[in-house]
Amino acid sequence: MISTLLVNSIIVGFVAGSLCGCTGTICGRMRLSTIAFSMAHAALAGSALSLLLGWNYLITGMLFAILTAIILGPLSDILRISLDTASMTLFSIYNALTFIFLIMSPGPTLSSEKVGGILWGSILAITPAYLIILMTISIIYLMILQIFWGRISSILFDPRLAEAEGVNVKFYTYMLLVLAGMIIVFTLKITGGFLVFSLLFIPSATSIQISKSLKGMIFTSSIIGGLSSTIGILMSFILNLPVGSCIVIGAATIFAATSIASLIIKSRITEGESIEIGS
Amino acid sequence: MDLEGQSLRLELHGAYAVELIDVSTYYYGEKRPAITDINLKIPVNTLSLVVGPNGAGKTTLLETILGLLKPRRGRVKVFGYDMAKRAQFVRKMCSYLPQDFMKDSDEPFLVKDVVAMGIASNRDLGRLGEEDWRMVYEALELVGILELAERPIGKLSGGQQQKVMFARALVRRPKLLLLDEPFSSLDRESRRSISENLLPDLVEDGCTVIMVSHDLTFRPTICDLVVRMESGRIVEVMRA
Repeated sequence: MISTLLVNSIIVGFVAGSLCGCTGTICGRMRLSTIAFSMAHAALAGSALSLLLGWNYLITGMLFAILTAIILGPLSDILRISLDTASMTLFSIYNALTFIFLIMSPGPTLSSEKVGGILWGSILAITPAYLIILMTISIIYLMILQIFWGRISSILFDPRLAEAEGVNVKFYTYMLLVLAGMIIVFTLKITGGFLVFSLLFIPSATSIQISKSLKGMIFTSSIIGGLSSTIGILMSFILNLPVGSCIVIGAATIFAATSIASLIIKSRITEGESIEIGS
Repeated sequence: MDLEGQSLRLELHGAYAVELIDVSTYYYGEKRPAITDINLKIPVNTLSLVVGPNGAGKTTLLETILGLLKPRRGRVKVFGYDMAKRAQFVRKMCSYLPQDFMKDSDEPFLVKDVVAMGIASNRDLGRLGEEDWRMVYEALELVGILELAERPIGKLSGGQQQKVMFARALVRRPKLLLLDEPFSSLDRESRRSISENLLPDLVEDGCTVIMVSHDLTFRPTICDLVVRMESGRIVEVMRA
């Protein structure tokens, strides 16, 4: 029983982590990191609302995340504030709403298993149905990247120039944000709402140390995201600690190791070059 | 419909490549317009030079023509199409070389991929074929940077990056080419080669070129129209 749960958890963790790593790199390139951050907390507030209303957390979480992606642009235009400021304002509001919804939800609040699952993640949430949905999202995501890569890469390079060449930049940006919203909501159950964005950005930051090309960055951040989740889930099983925290510790350890290795390699290259010049 | 078919249609659709009728464009939140009461007609298959000091509204004019900036008043037509309604369709026949093209040194895209993006944005779906890549290498050769194809664009000098963007504009085989200060980072030889050979050849092949410049040291050998701008207004239109 435990071994089946562990195997399922590792598969789901690897897939979700890879999707988050890939999404984080794409969002980072598009300078949408704060929007994704805000969407992660919107998903958390939506999930908390599901406890209050007794609905499925996927529906309310997704609704909040996608609504955030849609309203942020027009909101910053109407209020004449930057997207980052609008994102951070919404982030604060979502945090407040999360606690209000949790306190108002029926039953023993912060100690209940359901609430714990939303806040710091739980591998008990992983079911075969969950695994099938996550696999479907992965296939859709990969297909979209494969089919539209020409236009998406053009937007990632220079959105203004892509627009000047007739690419519908708004459409592709929203499509990627909606996909990011779906991935965030599905990963939220494993890592918890407060830590899901870490899995978006730590693998992305690590991949920049390793890869030189964008495709390489997307590939390595996906692998690092998957590895971080696997390490985190195993740590959580062995040490009986919250799975979300263990995943973030795993991701941060890989980041630290990669950064140190990268610094050592760079300094050796510089040393080699200066010896060559000297001789 | 392919671009060849579209170009046949647009030749029937209007005698002017660009028409601006009483156009005024404002930047967001600004009370003063960046360009005011612009009336301009640029015939197809010509090369026009837009000149004027900094802040005259030259870049705003180009971005208004492409529909990147929406005019608050007036109408913009490109090849007879109203840009308020058909901007996305028309832009596929245009190429734009922006003034602020420089990328950071950590920009990971390879030169050949940046040029290929010019074709990819006109393709419906999927990967580029062998013929597309042949066009990419041809464009790189035309601007003299074929040997840089496999280098990351961020590692190139300003002049080399400007040539990459030139190649990207050319690979699209545009019907309308908008160039914003295209010589700003180029050396003397490259400026001469582009203004004396490349641009006249393009016009001869049926392209309409609108070039913004404040430096007239290298004026293209063929130039049909010179538009002088000052403080957001057209003050003079000369037939060269």
